[in-house]
Amino acid sequence: MNRSALLSLYRSLARHKLYAALNIGGLAIGIAVFLILSLYVRFETSFEQWLPRHDGIYVVQTEFKDNGSPFSGTYQDTMGGLLEQMIEDFPSLVGTRINGGEDGGTVIRNGAAQTEDIARVDADFFRVFDLPMIIGEKATALRDPTAIVISQSAAQRYFGNRNPVGQIMTLAFEKPATYHITGVFKDLPRNSDLSFSILARQERNSSPSWYHWGSTALTTYLRFESPQAAQSFEQSMPAFIKRRGTHDMGPDVIDQMGLSLLPIAQAHLQPQGLASAAKKTTIITLGIVGVLTLLIAIVNYINLATARASLRAREVAMRKVLGADQGALVGQFLSEAILTVAIAALIGLIIAETGLPLVNAAGGLTLSVPYGFVTPILALLVLIVGVMAGLYPALLLARFPAAAVLASARAPGGGRAGTRTREALVVFQFGLAIAFMIGTAVLVAQARHVRSTDLGFQREGLLVVPGLANSSLDKARQLALLAALRRLPGVEKVTTANSAVGNNGINNFSNVDVPGRPKPGVSLRSIKVGRDFFETHGVRPIAGRVFDDAHGTDDSSTLGPDSPRNIVINRLAVARLGYSSPQDALGKTVGDGKLTIIGVIDQLRFYSPRLPDDPTYYTYLGDIAPDPVATLRFSGDPRPIQASVKNLWQRLAPQVPFDGDTGVHALAKFYQSDDHVTRLFGIGTSLAVLIGCVGLWGLASFNTSRRVREIGIRKTLGATSADIVKLLVGQFLRPVLIANLIAWPLAFFALQAWLGGFADRIALSPVFFIGPSLLAITIAVLTILGQSLRASRAAPAWALRHD
Amino acid sequence: MIHLENIQRRYLSDEVETTALHDIKLDVDAGEFLAIMGPSGCGKSTLLNILGTVDRPTSGRYLFGERDLAALDEKALAQFRGSTLGFVFQSFNLIDELTIEENVGLGLAYRNGVSDRRGRVAAAMDKVSIAHRARHYPHQLSGGQQQRAAIARAIVGNPRLILADEPTGNLDTANGEQVMNILAGLNAEGATIVMVTHSRSHADMAKRRIDMLDGRIVASAMHTM
Repeated sequence: MNRSALLSLYRSLARHKLYAALNIGGLAIGIAVFLILSLYVRFETSFEQWLPRHDGIYVVQTEFKDNGSPFSGTYQDTMGGLLEQMIEDFPSLVGTRINGGEDGGTVIRNGAAQTEDIARVDADFFRVFDLPMIIGEKATALRDPTAIVISQSAAQRYFGNRNPVGQIMTLAFEKPATYHITGVFKDLPRNSDLSFSILARQERNSSPSWYHWGSTALTTYLRFESPQAAQSFEQSMPAFIKRRGTHDMGPDVIDQMGLSLLPIAQAHLQPQGLASAAKKTTIITLGIVGVLTLLIAIVNYINLATARASLRAREVAMRKVLGADQGALVGQFLSEAILTVAIAALIGLIIAETGLPLVNAAGGLTLSVPYGFVTPILALLVLIVGVMAGLYPALLLARFPAAAVLASARAPGGGRAGTRTREALVVFQFGLAIAFMIGTAVLVAQARHVRSTDLGFQREGLLVVPGLANSSLDKARQLALLAALRRLPGVEKVTTANSAVGNNGINNFSNVDVPGRPKPGVSLRSIKVGRDFFETHGVRPIAGRVFDDAHGTDDSSTLGPDSPRNIVINRLAVARLGYSSPQDALGKTVGDGKLTIIGVIDQLRFYSPRLPDDPTYYTYLGDIAPDPVATLRFSGDPRPIQASVKNLWQRLAPQVPFDGDTGVHALAKFYQSDDHVTRLFGIGTSLAVLIGCVGLWGLASFNTSRRVREIGIRKTLGATSADIVKLLVGQFLRPVLIANLIAWPLAFFALQAWLGGFADRIALSPVFFIGPSLLAITIAVLTILGQSLRASRAAPAWALRHD
Repeated sequence: MIHLENIQRRYLSDEVETTALHDIKLDVDAGEFLAIMGPSGCGKSTLLNILGTVDRPTSGRYLFGERDLAALDEKALAQFRGSTLGFVFQSFNLIDELTIEENVGLGLAYRNGVSDRRGRVAAAMDKVSIAHRARHYPHQLSGGQQQRAAIARAIVGNPRLILADEPTGNLDTANGEQVMNILAGLNAEGATIVMVTHSRSHADMAKRRIDMLDGRIVASAMHTM
């Protein structure tokens, strides 16, 4: 690129600052959005790949094949004693369990208990997970059953600058015990689902469920030296299951469950159970948003660059006349384009870097730009986009004979083919932008819906306290705590249940026999509740009544295990049990004649909106439910209530960490991920629309300036300013209207698939499509109206002299 | 120096064939100042474009010295133009983003082996008395000044042939006279000039005039000074 060409480029950019800013700025924004979303996708798809030799680590999955059961599906959990049985049958197997993790145990310090991320693992842990150690030897660190290893930040937290090795810590799982520290490992990175800061040895467990086939308690990991070894092991699982599982699950155990291996790097995005692949879909969607936004920006850039390049036809013709050959001219345009795109890429990188803190805050992330990875990709992008942007004008202009260009009063614009191409590009980019807008509208509406939908109970004014179920609290102390909670000012009611808001508690399902239907009957979720459960949650029956102490058969705690008792069921259970209506179910007896239905309530949605509702029956256990989670109904500001409950707790149960959360907050964690995605999607959409408008503005400005003479002629022939505005606006409105034909089906199918991941979802109303389309049309009109008005007011005489 | 023989130029557009030049035969000697006149559409500019190799004849021979230009490819023609020809246009055709000095320097941009570019540019600007505007941009100059700058660009490479297509067409009388005097001065120093013009008085400043009509040379006359 010779000096005069470089000067020409610089002066051209400086002279037409607005075009340069819009065009380069638009491309820079597109590059920034692409970079940021790519970093997010890269983060989400990189989980556990930081582990040394991660491709040899596999998660053991348990598949429950009982279709129709709420439990069916594949889970990354196994029976507690599975690994022990596997090693007995396959002695050379290398594996470890991880039991616990986030809030997995309690550290007791100075008489006070605090929850800590503690996991219990096997002695072979470091043979599977080769975690980088800062102090200590991996091979021996967990050999002693009373040895623990802690993370770098835990060491800092508990011991400051002192060497923690050899120090003693008191940890509590079922009961407190002392342990000595034998090593410190490096903190786990963010792209990991492993969540522990202290590792202790998993002891042999004597509880019956530990070795009960069909139960799940923890996660089991295995290491294999090759994929073939893993595959061979997986193929031996059916025989292993039949050998070991028949005792607990019967001879048809293979028809009920399976065991499979999942490479650990795939675990993060793998859906579990009945939960949909929403997370994976979301990652893919955001990745596509990033790519499409970049595509819109590139299309925009090329459109405007090629349109404006035609203005330089005269310069090109003169250069030809002065001796430039086609190669020199093509080289000049390509170099200019590559240089300009490089400037845009640099600005895009700066925007991404400075915008990342905002994105991280909005999305709950900790992304940063890995320059070693990003720089070559950007360089390639610059080359590709620069060539695409530079080649078309170079070839277009090189085609025109110099003589014709110099003789002509008007710069060639690529003719009708050029106009059609530009229109097609506007259709394409606005189509995508409108699809994005529709997507954002639906995402926001769905997020609002799950937050405000009727959950079947009054979610405000509830405080959930799961710690009551801690095994160190006997029944007397639990009852004392409940009584003390009831006396607190502001507390209106207190109840217990073995299942509470925010997926606290346990999941139990039972097969309930129904008269006239074959065994094993219908699978229903079973929830055991204490006094005032329905009143505390503000639940009214839709048929019959709820439990009360005036009816003796309501309280199952006073009855023998085979005695008949009363139950309350939910609406879904009415249908599942085969009754035509809630009224029809009243008084009916199920479960071998032992369970009498006294009332029907609506669905109580305690869990994630992505999970389907379960048919449920409730049993009343009087003073306190087994495995109790306490729920309080309070009035007023939750903060003083939480503080007073915490104080009371720390006074009466200091050895149990206090863990209380409002119902609203406990549910909010289910929405968090979708909220983050909605925000990121919204940011991406806004920028995609902005880029589209920038392109439209630039193109409209260019086209309008080329039509000044035509406008003068039309006005001379009698056209009014309004006629001119209609002409100019209409020219660009047509591609925007056509863009809807692309946007609507694209958005419809994509959103239908996304909404399919929610059990409780909004309907895809036409409003979501019409609204954004109208908005896009309005934005397009406003974008070009200013220029159209200005052009329409030009004096005809001046316009006719304009070249 | 220049020999055109049986030059034809036909254009085909929308199934209509237009013949711009019919069997043109023309010789131009080195150091000659030739004016071409004729009504609009007679083919004068087409002939000039063919002489300047920015357009190719449909048939015929074009010899420049001993070189048959029909045999040259685009690359070779570009090199030929850059090293041998200088152009002056009615609408100046200066590049708006470059200063006058840079525009004049463009005349050397596509030539290899040129020494002392700066000096040559300065000399060309001095010759046409435009050096005082070297740092200005074209839109800051009057029409006459722009045309003088264009002439400087045309002569900076010491071309063997200067082609001027209505060089005074966009100028007033005074500026037109000035430009013509420059061209006459260059011719007096030995430059070969072929000029298309509508102005009889300007054509009279040339040594020979040819008249064209409907794509043909209909008259040729020497001008006695």
